[in-house]
Amino acid sequence: MAHFDTDYQRLEASYSDSPPGEENLLMHVPEGAKSQWHHIENLDLFFQRISFIPKNGFTCMLLGEIFELVQLLFVVGFTVFLANCIDYDILFANKFVNHTDSSKVTLPDAFLPVDVCSARIRHNAFMIFVLVISGVFWLHRLVKFIYNVCCYWEIRSFYINALKMTMSELPYVTWQEVQARIVEIQKEHQICIHKKELTELDIYHRILRFKNYMVAMVNKSLLPVKFRLPVLGECVFYTRGLKYNFELIFFWGPGSLFENEWSLKSEYKRGGNRHDLADRLASRILWIGIANLLLCPVILVWQILYAFFSYTEVIKREPGSLGARCWSLYGRCYLRHFNELDHELMSRLSKGYKAASKYMNCFLSPLLTVVAKNVAFFAGSLLAVLIALTIYDEDVLAVEHVLSSITLLGVCITVCRSFIPDKHMVFCPEQLLRVILAHIHYMPDHWQGNAHRYETRDQFSQLFQYKAVFILEELLSPVVTPIILIFCLRRKSLEIIDFFRNFTVEVVGVGDTCSFAQMDIRQHGHPAWMSEGKTEASIYQQAEDGKTELSLMHFAITNPQWQPPQETTHFISQLKERVHREATGLLKKKKKRPRSLIANLLAGPSTLSSVHFGRDGCLNNHTAAGIGDGASALRSLSPISSSLYLRGSLSAAHRATSHTSAVSKAMAGSGTDARTVSSGSSAWEAQLTSLVLSEYASTEMSIHALYMHELHKQQSRGELPRHTWHRQESDESSDSVPDEVRSEPNTHLRNFPRSHTFPTTVPSPSAIPTSASATSSSTLSQQGVGGFQMFFSYPVGAGVKVVRSARVPMGGWAEDTQGAPRHHEPLPEESSEDEMPPHIHKVNPGAIIRWTGCSTIPSDDQRNRLDMFRLTLSSSIS
Amino acid sequence: MNCRSEVLEVTVEARQVEEAMLALLHTILLHRSTGKFHYKKEGTYSIGTVGTQDIDCDFIDFTFVRVSSEELDRVIRKAVSEFKDALSNSGSDGMGQISLEFFQKKKSRWPFSDECIPWEVWSIKVNVVNLANEQERQICREKVGEKLGEKVINVVEVINRHEYLPKMPTQSEVDNVFDTSLKDVQPYLYKIAYQITDSLGTSVSTTMRRLIKDTLAL
Repeated sequence: MAHFDTDYQRLEASYSDSPPGEENLLMHVPEGAKSQWHHIENLDLFFQRISFIPKNGFTCMLLGEIFELVQLLFVVGFTVFLANCIDYDILFANKFVNHTDSSKVTLPDAFLPVDVCSARIRHNAFMIFVLVISGVFWLHRLVKFIYNVCCYWEIRSFYINALKMTMSELPYVTWQEVQARIVEIQKEHQICIHKKELTELDIYHRILRFKNYMVAMVNKSLLPVKFRLPVLGECVFYTRGLKYNFELIFFWGPGSLFENEWSLKSEYKRGGNRHDLADRLASRILWIGIANLLLCPVILVWQILYAFFSYTEVIKREPGSLGARCWSLYGRCYLRHFNELDHELMSRLSKGYKAASKYMNCFLSPLLTVVAKNVAFFAGSLLAVLIALTIYDEDVLAVEHVLSSITLLGVCITVCRSFIPDKHMVFCPEQLLRVILAHIHYMPDHWQGNAHRYETRDQFSQLFQYKAVFILEELLSPVVTPIILIFCLRRKSLEIIDFFRNFTVEVVGVGDTCSFAQMDIRQHGHPAWMSEGKTEASIYQQAEDGKTELSLMHFAITNPQWQPPQETTHFISQLKERVHREATGLLKKKKKRPRSLIANLLAGPSTLSSVHFGRDGCLNNHTAAGIGDGASALRSLSPISSSLYLRGSLSAAHRATSHTSAVSKAMAGSGTDARTVSSGSSAWEAQLTSLVLSEYASTEMSIHALYMHELHKQQSRGELPRHTWHRQESDESSDSVPDEVRSEPNTHLRNFPRSHTFPTTVPSPSAIPTSASATSSSTLSQQGVGGFQMFFSYPVGAGVKVVRSARVPMGGWAEDTQGAPRHHEPLPEESSEDEMPPHIHKVNPGAIIRWTGCSTIPSDDQRNRLDMFRLTLSSSIS
Repeated sequence: MNCRSEVLEVTVEARQVEEAMLALLHTILLHRSTGKFHYKKEGTYSIGTVGTQDIDCDFIDFTFVRVSSEELDRVIRKAVSEFKDALSNSGSDGMGQISLEFFQKKKSRWPFSDECIPWEVWSIKVNVVNLANEQERQICREKVGEKLGEKVINVVEVINRHEYLPKMPTQSEVDNVFDTSLKDVQPYLYKIAYQITDSLGTSVSTTMRRLIKDTLAL
């Protein structure tokens, strides 16, 4: 055995690294679940709950739910009590109580003793039935309540721990902020496991998955909600009950098309056995219809009781509320964009409310008015006498039925009054409809130019119905719903199956969504809505009324952070640029004019312009609108630039600054704007920013919506519309220019400080006559442009009052001037800006005149000047 | 639906069902198992070893690797043989689906039971064919072997993607992520379920559960 002497040795050191016994083991540090918010099972529900809360706050939700429970208990209990435990004979004094001590009848006298009462209840089978049903219902609600509370609690802690928001600031946080934080959170916690990052669209898709389907189905007229009835003509019936049933059938009920909240059942995705599936759906609808029919009495009783208890008091207090209007459920569906949250929709519709009710009031029938006036007169005299007598000696009240007749007369008078139009109201529906359009963003093509017609009014009233009608429909709903389900919806089952198959796409990380909600111009664009050449959709695939395009714009504007796919980005920026360029073009021309009165006009309120620039800056923070081009041209024209260029100018300067600082800059710059400054204490600054931002977004959207409608109108007609003539005629008929002048602008400008509107409007009279004098009477173009102008003048005026101080300087005047060129853009010679000056010269007078009063003839210089002057006066006085 | 789902489809002969299923399930579990965790006081842990083992199939020309844990094998075998029996007893056209679902638990407050939230579901769809003669069987034997090989590569590809996995838990939470009941290996929490033909009304209990949940969530 030789001893080998080599260099090789054992390397002792290597062993010392690991602890003895556990050689070569790596040590790991567990990450642990740092938060409980990673990988959330049901993101749909989770996001929905998150989106609920900011509006109301946690306590409100909780209280609301508790009161709902108590209310339910109360309604049932009180009804039973009224029906069984009261001796009405005593109450009506048909029977005398034999009190020994006093002759007064007290309320407790009328109550039956407990044992009699309970016996009466026990012997009444129907009452027991009602009690059992409501008991079960109540228990269900209770369980649901407890469940909800637990969920809310979870969401609350999500807000506090993950989103780092305190409960006190929650009511003032906008959804956009919450959303931005959620997107941040995803990077850290991975609440959705499919993707590293969530986009805004993903969140919207999840929250609005089913609502998008409903919107699409209403858009494609798939749901049977419009009916042609023998006497009533076309009417819409869409109630909460019906909606609930639709959702039950399609989305979550037993055997619904959806397997769970996020995926359509696979058999519905295949076209193979569509007839089988349609049959199955039809039979399911039948069964649900029958179940509705069986439950009808219960629901009916409930609806009546509920309506009685919730509305009687209101009607007694202010009977006029029945004459008030509200956006109908169908309207909300029809007007809703794809991917629009409830609160976004509601704020939009609320802004349009005033104009809408004004529009509807234009159509009060004169016959009815005369009758109402007289009825009100007679009822009023009776009432006056009764009241006078009562004041003289209150024993009059003790006379039988005096109190009730006073009440009835009061109600009668209020009802009559709602039929008597405002004395200062002027019939100019076309303008009103445009104002409405600026907020609601959708309307059928045939309304344009037909605003003064009854058909339009009737159709609009489908969207904007009387509160009374709403209540009535809700009451009728339990009876009508099963009929609609069984006879109308069932027939459509094949179409429904096809709809879900054709318009469902699976999105990674989101699940099955409605393909319309993707807002893909290529797939669902409508050639008549600016997506000419871009869309590949068949007629079946096209969304009606430009829904895809408008929704896309709306989503892009409300969610500026969102990065759409390539083509879509192209579409958006193209549109924005187009709107922008036209305005810029106009301004350049304006400057060339020999007597640059416009320049005067604009130079006047220089303080205002500074306000604007500040604001613009803060807007630019959140929009990367690629329209910096004409910014410099616009600067001098700040009042004009107001809303259209909100996001355009000063982009570079302010982009870097944070929101807060931008706002403070804006405030600093706005010497005139004392109100904002005062409210801009540090605590409010952030909120203010977001408020201002969202307001700007809504204005921008309004303008884009109007622009798109106008373009659409021209594309589809191919020539200047005739409707302006119509309007002209109808407007002529009401020769109350000053009236109009006074009433219209005033109502819109009333709500904000005079100092702001004043400087904007003052220079205008000088501007307008000149432009008018430049007019050679090429009426056709004037007409067209004029029509378009109103568009822009109005919405902004209307918007102003909403935005508090933000948009103050943009009185309608400024807008007028910029509306004009936009009109020209879509005309054939799109790029030839040289064409523009003459147009513009012609354009202005017509535009403004039409705004000031419906009836002026554009070429009539003298009158223009007069009107203008009046308008300015009136608006400055207001 | 916050979970990934992968679907594998195989067409096999009746006697190959068991082995084919075992091969696929074991392959997935091999990649979804770790050694046992040994926690230290200072909050760190070390991972134990996992042995692997080659298994040759009798009815298929195929060899697969599985974690060499008898216990795990027993559990899987039991599930697979139940599936096989159900499949042969069903008398239908021999369609079935076995799914392996990885989930994690989330502790809930008192009135609710722990939530099991799946993060990955593997569905293996099986189509059973009947073969007439021995020669066809021989061909099938090779064919299925090749197919399974493809599937295994498929599985590995999916697993190699950098996608969501539950974070490594601390000692107190280890039961929420891993199945710690086995002595020698520690797979992610999993569930095996099967279903014969894609019957329309899944199971009554799931429908009921969903119904209740839906009404609550209204």
